[in-house]
Order: sequence, then C-alpha cells, then structure tokens
Amino acid sequence: MSEDTLLDTAEGFEPKIVGFLCNWCSYAGADKAGGSQKSYPPNVSVIRVMCSGRVDPQFVLKAYSAGADGVLILACHPGDCHYKEGNYMAMQRHRILLRMLSEHGIDSARCRFDYVSAAEGDRFIEILTEMVDTIRALGPMVSDNTVGNKIMVKRS
Amino acid sequence: MKIGVYFCNCGSNISDKVDSEQVRQVIETMGDVAYFKTNDLMCSDDGKAFLHEDIAAENPDRIVIAACSPREHENTFMRVLTGVGMNPYLMQMANIREQVAWVTDDIGEASLKAATLIKGAVKRVGFHKPLEKKSIDMSPDVLVIGAGPAGLKAALTIAETGRKVVIVEKRPVIGGQPVLYEEVFPNLECAPCMLEPMLNDILHGEHAVNIEILTLSEVVELTGFYGNFIAKVKKTPRYVDLHQCIGCGECIGVCPVDVKNECNNGLDGRKAISLSFAGALPNVPFIDMSACLRARDEECRLCEQSCPLGDGIILYGDVQETVERHIGAVIVAVGASLYDAGLIPKLGYGRVPDVYTSIEFERLLSSTGPTGGQLTTRSGRQPKSIAIIHCVGSLDANHKEYCSGVCCQSAFKFNLMAGHKLHETRIYHLYKELVYPGKEEFFLYKRARENPNAAFIRYQNIDRLMITEEEDGIMIENTLSVDGSIKADMVVLCAALAPAKDTGKLNEVLDTTADTYGFFEELHGRLDSARSKVRGIYIAGACQSPMNIQQAITQGMAAAGYVLSGLVEGKQLDIEPITASVDTDRCSGCRVCMLLCPYRAIGFDDDSRKSSVNEVLCQGCGTCVAACPAGAISGNHFTNEAIYAEIEGVLA
Repeated sequence: MSEDTLLDTAEGFEPKIVGFLCNWCSYAGADKAGGSQKSYPPNVSVIRVMCSGRVDPQFVLKAYSAGADGVLILACHPGDCHYKEGNYMAMQRHRILLRMLSEHGIDSARCRFDYVSAAEGDRFIEILTEMVDTIRALGPMVSDNTVGNKIMVKRS
Repeated sequence: MKIGVYFCNCGSNISDKVDSEQVRQVIETMGDVAYFKTNDLMCSDDGKAFLHEDIAAENPDRIVIAACSPREHENTFMRVLTGVGMNPYLMQMANIREQVAWVTDDIGEASLKAATLIKGAVKRVGFHKPLEKKSIDMSPDVLVIGAGPAGLKAALTIAETGRKVVIVEKRPVIGGQPVLYEEVFPNLECAPCMLEPMLNDILHGEHAVNIEILTLSEVVELTGFYGNFIAKVKKTPRYVDLHQCIGCGECIGVCPVDVKNECNNGLDGRKAISLSFAGALPNVPFIDMSACLRARDEECRLCEQSCPLGDGIILYGDVQETVERHIGAVIVAVGASLYDAGLIPKLGYGRVPDVYTSIEFERLLSSTGPTGGQLTTRSGRQPKSIAIIHCVGSLDANHKEYCSGVCCQSAFKFNLMAGHKLHETRIYHLYKELVYPGKEEFFLYKRARENPNAAFIRYQNIDRLMITEEEDGIMIENTLSVDGSIKADMVVLCAALAPAKDTGKLNEVLDTTADTYGFFEELHGRLDSARSKVRGIYIAGACQSPMNIQQAITQGMAAAGYVLSGLVEGKQLDIEPITASVDTDRCSGCRVCMLLCPYRAIGFDDDSRKSSVNEVLCQGCGTCVAACPAGAISGNHFTNEAIYAEIEGVLA
C-alpha cells in the first residue's frame, strides 16, 4: 500500500476500538493512567472483565460485527494473574484467534494482546496510542475485507 | 424496563471536561432510560442520601452510575442500593473520570466518549440479574498437619479461642526439628527451655482439652472444601496407651531388642520400645513393631510385665486404624528436610566416617544425643579441628538455586558451641556466601569471627571441594588451588533446606500445588504466603519456604489468623455470588472446564457425565465460561448476554 492510499483511507477516519481489560491489573493500570491525568486518544472503549481468561474469542468477533475497527485485550503480566493462570489462557486463545482472523482476511494488527500491570499507567497509554495509530493507518474495518462484518456471532 | 442514569460531577473533576447536557441528549433518547440525573458528589454523605432517596422515589428496575472507576466506589454504591432495598447487582458503573475526564483534553471528545461508555452500561445493565450472597453451614474446627513450631503455634492460637484442633504428626514426638537441638540461634537460647512451655500448653495447658494429637499418623485423604472438609487419618499403632502411661521408662530398661536410633541418625541405639530421646513429648514410649520380638511370633511380654501400672497400658493388640475428622480448614506445617549431601559425592558423606550433616552435628552437641553432648569423633577422640562447610547444595544451579538463609546461622552456632566444649579446637568455615540478615543475626557471626581458633575460607564452587579420608584425619582439598587444602578431624555439611520427603505425596492428597522447588506453593509470595492456592488450606513454616523458627512461628500465627477471621464460630460461611454455573442440559461432559479451573472448583458426576461448579471454591474468573465449547457455563454478572450488550452499546 502506497503512502498516498494510506492517507486516503485514513482521512477523516476515527477508529473505534474495544478494549477488554482484566479487573485486577490492566483495568487498574488504565485507572492509573487516569490518575496521572495524561491525555490520550478517546478511541478506545474499555469493557471490564474480571479476568482476561474470561475473554471469549466470540467477544472479539462480536466487536467486529458491531462495528469495531480493532480490539485490544490486556492482561496481567505472566505470573501475576489474580486468578493464577487466566492470562495464559487469554494469550493462547489470542494466538489461535489470530490464525482464524487471517483466514477471514482480517489483519492481525486489528486484534492486539498485551500485558499491563496495575502500576503501568504509562504503558497502557503507550499501547493504546500505538493501537489507535495502527488502526488509523489500516483504515476502517470494512476497507480490508467485508468478510469481517459477516462473521456470525453465536449467542448463547 | 425502567433504567435510571445518575451522572456524578465529582466536584468538578468530571464536569470540567464532560458536558453533562451533551451526554443527557444522547442518553435520554435510548429506550428504557427513564431519567438522567446529575449530582455534584455522589460518594459524599449528601450524594449517597440523594441516591438513596431518589431510588426510593423513582423505583427503577436498573440503574447506571456514571462516575469514577468501579474500583473506587462500586462497593459504596452497592451498599446504598442494599440500604434502599434494591438488589446491589442491578447497577452498572460507567468510568467517566479515570478513563474519560482525566485523560481527554477536548470537551467535545470527552463528552462523546462519556456518552459512549454510558450507552454500553445502559445496554449491559438490562441483562443484570439480581444475585444473592448465599451462606452455608461450616465447621470452625481445624486440622493441623505437622507438630513443629509452626503447626503447634497455629494449633495453640486457634485452640485458645475454644475451637477444636486436630494435630496430625507422623513421628511419635511433637516439637518438630528444634526439639532435637541443644541451643538455637541467634542467641544460643536453650531449645528445650524455649519449646517446652509451648509443648506443655499443647499437651496439658488450659486449652489442651480443645486439642487432639494424633501421633504416628498421616492424612491419607481429604475431601470436601473450605468450611466442610473431611479428613481421613491413618493411625499407626503406638502399642502404648497415650493417656494412661506415666512415662516412667521401666519398660524400656527391660526390652531385649537393640536397634539403631533414627532420631540420632543411627549414631546410637535404642530399644524396640523406646522414647525418641530423653525428654521427648508426649512422654510416652512407642513400640517399633518392625523390631519387636512379638512381630517374629516370640511370646515376649517383658515390657508389659514391667509396667508399674499393670495391664492395659502396653497394648499389644493395638491395630492400625483410619479415623475421620470433619473440619473447616487445614493448616499444613510439615517442615522441610536437609538437602541430601550424598548427591554431592565428593564431599564424602556416607563414605568418610566423620563427615556429618548439620542435623547429625546438632545431635552430637546435644546432651540428649548419642554421645550425651560429648563432641568426639567416631573413634572416640576429641577433634583437633572441625571444618564447617556452608552453602552445601545452595546457590547452585546443579543443586538448589536458592539460599536457605538459616545454614550460616547454624554454622556460626556450631562454632560457638564447639568452642565452648573444646577450647583448643580449630574451626574452619568454608563458605560460598555469608548471609546473616536481621537485627539479631549478626551477633553469632561477630562471635564466630572473634573466635581466635576460627578461620574463614571462601570457596567458589562446591564441586571443586574433594573430601577424603587419610590416616591422620580428613583431607579437604580445593581442587582449583594447589595450596588450597586443609585437614580436619570432623566435617559438618550445612546443607540447604529442601522439601520434606513426603511433600509431593501430601500435595496429591490435599490437591494443593508445589512450587518450582517442590515446596508447598503459596497463593502470593508477599501478600498471601500463608495461603495455598486451595481455599481453606493454609501453609506455615518451612514447608512453604526455607525459614527459621521465628518466621515459622509467625507464619503459623498468620495461618491461624486466616482461620479465625474466615471461619467464625456460630456464623455461616458467605459465598460470593459472582461465580460460574453449569447448565447441565447443555453440558456435553467434555471436562475442558475442569482442566482449566485454577481453583479445582469444578467437579464431575460420573453417573450423569456432567460437570458442576462448587460455588465455595469458584472465584469467578470466568475462564471456564469462555472455554466451554457447548456454551453450557455462564458467569454470574459477566454473562455473555451482558457483555455482548455492552459491546453493542459502546459501538452504537
């Protein structure tokens, strides 16, 4: 993709990103960023889950089908999970999910998994800002593949 | 459905950046939103009173509070809801302070983002269900495994509150490792004098009535869960009545069988009926049936005949039995062992006669030990020199990577105690590192350094030390250095502390976990080192990590504290409602959930081939919910429906 087309797609586009954050580390890290009162882009809507292990891959698919351009999954650092090992499950599920997303033509950069501790407000801002920049460069979800919008989400 | 939205200005923390009127215009158009009200400071007493009165007046089905982080005041507002008679789970907070007002420069952008998050909350809260805390009956009684300092302190602390404590000890004596010592570091206090008051409190004190001691016993099965465990304990017969025997020792004198005394590491002998050592508590001998003539069908009754109390004290008919105890919690305090010095063959342990482990040396120093406290070599000579080797197996990737933190203290203690007994004896400290943290511990180091007969020699690698027997003593060579050899008459190996022999087996019985080194694994290294990863099973003392007596005692009390605050006599056990639950109609019995559950909270019914969640053990992480391929497990308060709705809400 040339720089021109990249600019074209990015023009006037505000990415919509959903972030699934675990209550104990990453959500607390996001709150920590708030406490330091440093400004960051408003594009990420955070959904709190008790553990990153609760993040069902279907949540991610649901977010895409409901209009998200990107999804962020943030977990406790390895070894720090409040529930011992939920973050490992989340990490493994994310890897498998990326393989599936690529089969549907969804750029793997649209689903990022990372670790943020309760102390890492600055790290949260860094990851979030990178994600917004990445998605802004990729353009809206519909532009790389319409299949992304057709993923059926099983409702239980 | 009637949903009320409350918008908190948070003084001006939120209202400076988020325009509540812009937000109102978006939110009021949503179906189900009946009203949108602002308040200046909802968490203040005035704010809570406003919320209370307004909920009472409006009587909404659900509410959304747009304010600070739920990590800050979710509980505050839940209590207001409870106070007004509304189920506290019918509320959702939108975090528009930490995650909007404080981090967004532009008022328009901030207002839009706040509205977005509130939309998510409004959509989500419609799927909230009223949840109730459940409570169940539980037992306030406790099982303590291991009768060392940590276990006994825990037991005594709990028994003092009037609860029943069952102590299970595999050996015939209580007191753990330190009862074998003459003096303890860091102040060379007499170990029996220090321990006996506590041991007597356990056996005969005011609260002893609350303590049941099962010696020569082991826990073979644990079922149930926090609040309601059933423990099966296998009791090996003692063949002597623990309650009637007065401990006079007449029976020991007449016993014709001599065997090696394992309590003194085989350095002396004992009878088939014996006490472990003089002064052992309970002061009641036991018969080692593997040695007793009766096990060989010989009709010996000498011990019984010698008993001044007559028949019925010596119980030849005693049999192994398994007893059951119903308890609410378990404290594991089984201690540690020394790392096997035989695994470093060059050190000569087991091959060179006067090479001893630190515990064997403790017994040589002890007045109740094999030599009555005379420090002599196996050939009966006074040693002219003693080499004390520190860090045996410690700080070594080939053996134990950690520092046990107690061996240097033992080594310095040996220096002083040996010096007291033998004024001319030369003492060598061969060490890799010297460790003596704490406000008292430097004292022994200082004294050892001041000993004019002591020399300190640093070595780099234990594998370079070669210990061999020579005609005139023991040669300790440092194979790295040509002139690096010394001669000694005795060698003491201060080995690392390692998990006790049966730790792995006990971990299996209790369904607890072991750490990298095989010690009982704590819930959290700093915050919760006295809790295992299984709710209701606590760990104390050196079975959790190498530690000294002070630390073990403290951790025993910590474990007791968890029990006393968690299991309150006369009260029921509260169960948090945010747990997972299985829809048995949809469960296919694949058991994926069981593999994933970090708390072993999921059971499986072999007859129905269905999983079920134990609400007491479940911590509500939701890992199983996300993993269930049949979608049969739902997570209370974090249901798929609620989260899907929130996703739709924030993207609408």
